[in-house]
Amino acid sequence: MDADIIITEIKKYIEKNILAEAVHIDADTILKQAGIDSFSTVEIILFIERRFGVAIPDEKLLPENFKTIRALAATVLELMPAAS
Amino acid sequence: MTPFSKNDLPEKVILSGADCFHLVLDKHAKKHGAGGNVMRKAFYFSSSVSFEKIENILRSSPVIYWLCNIKLMEPPLFQLPYWRYKDRGNEIVVKKHDCDVENEIPKNILTRDITVDADRFIEADIIYYPSGSSAFVLSWNHILLDAKGTTLLFEHLNHLSENKPQNFDIFFPAREKKTNIFTYISNMYKVKRFVQTSAKPPVSSVATAKARHGEDETMNRTIAFNAEETARVASNSFKAGSRFGATLYFIACCSQIIHLLNKQKNKAGDLWLPVPYDGRLKGAVGPLISNCVSFLFYRIPEAELDSVPQTVKCLSAQMKSQIGDGIPQRYTMFLNMMRHIPLWLYYLLVSRTGKGVFASFLYTSTGDNFNELTHLFGEPLRDLNMIPALTFPPGLTFVFLKHDNKLNINIAYSPDVITDNDLHLIEEKIKQALLAEY
Repeated sequence: MDADIIITEIKKYIEKNILAEAVHIDADTILKQAGIDSFSTVEIILFIERRFGVAIPDEKLLPENFKTIRALAATVLELMPAAS
Repeated sequence: MTPFSKNDLPEKVILSGADCFHLVLDKHAKKHGAGGNVMRKAFYFSSSVSFEKIENILRSSPVIYWLCNIKLMEPPLFQLPYWRYKDRGNEIVVKKHDCDVENEIPKNILTRDITVDADRFIEADIIYYPSGSSAFVLSWNHILLDAKGTTLLFEHLNHLSENKPQNFDIFFPAREKKTNIFTYISNMYKVKRFVQTSAKPPVSSVATAKARHGEDETMNRTIAFNAEETARVASNSFKAGSRFGATLYFIACCSQIIHLLNKQKNKAGDLWLPVPYDGRLKGAVGPLISNCVSFLFYRIPEAELDSVPQTVKCLSAQMKSQIGDGIPQRYTMFLNMMRHIPLWLYYLLVSRTGKGVFASFLYTSTGDNFNELTHLFGEPLRDLNMIPALTFPPGLTFVFLKHDNKLNINIAYSPDVITDNDLHLIEEKIKQALLAEY
């Protein structure tokens, strides 16, 4: 799986389930500025764990890894087994 | 300022489930002689603000006009309560006060109640101090506005003073989607089971249900942190394991202090508290009116109260599990369903859960909502403070507020529950806990 697919899926999830209709984001939008709070971050993590089958360890739960969708996708890629 | 049409304001706004829960709290406040379900926000200015200017801005707000001209309608069984707007020509009352003590809010403002039978659900006061500084205090009944609604209200007032165009429709709640009765019922059992397990007695609280002596007084104490200390608190929160903002760290620190207090009074045990959760979609600019909050419920076993990092870990697991199970959304649906039953029965059901102990203590935070608010009514702000409605029992609420990168904690308490010695202990220990080495 490449980063673009992961970005698309995370973006779709956030837009459908978390953000108000009028709010538009892209891969580099600062999520906090779009209104994403700590509870929503947990929702996104749970989605990632479910959808991509990765568990995000404590040491990866850093603010910079949740800053944008691109940063999130990079974290997911790093955690995914190389074969996939 | 553009004039608004009073005829265009909504004639009927149905109460949300969370609004109705506040009606129950209102009933509870009356029963226990507590100071009412009134929220207050104080904005401090270095200069003496113009009374006329502020009064004009407030009177040009359609939302505030609506809040001054509504009445609560409680229709017969199984129909939903609603606000009925009728243009009675009521304008907001703005009162002027002179106060000798800098930053103090006169007692007659703090003890003034705004009940569900009031003529107006929002009131304003401007206080002038001898140094030439001033404060603006807005008080409102919590049934109508939640924390996010308040943020939106002040943004709206700022837009009014800057003559920015606004869409008033989004200020009022949209028509609700209908929920199937079977979905309601199946959800009710899940929520009931969850809350009853979570709040299962014994839960240790700072108060017992019968401790109130009927004094109509809510006391407040503010603990201020400078910018350096605030940065340290943020860094500590991460070190203590709070990965999603500082909320869990704040709750853990408060819990440690309450546990210490309870130990001193030989009533240490598990703690239980509901923590508000904003149910609006993120980035939404409405609705401003009505409570859109749900809750996460944390039970902290006594064995998890040995250290702050341990408590944070315990809270973190519960937060993840509840968000994963959709508890806040389920609880919102549950509250919406509860609107259909008579208030007296609703009150009975709520007060029986946990045998009259609503919570061990209460916690709320404005997050970063006000951190970057530098001006109000076009005037630079020096400081701000939030004085919460005090729910009794438990009779102790912590409000964490960040403004201009400085944290302050407002402790609202009932003197029947928290003695002077208790308060000194809380003040000393909470600062220690937040600034400790982790």
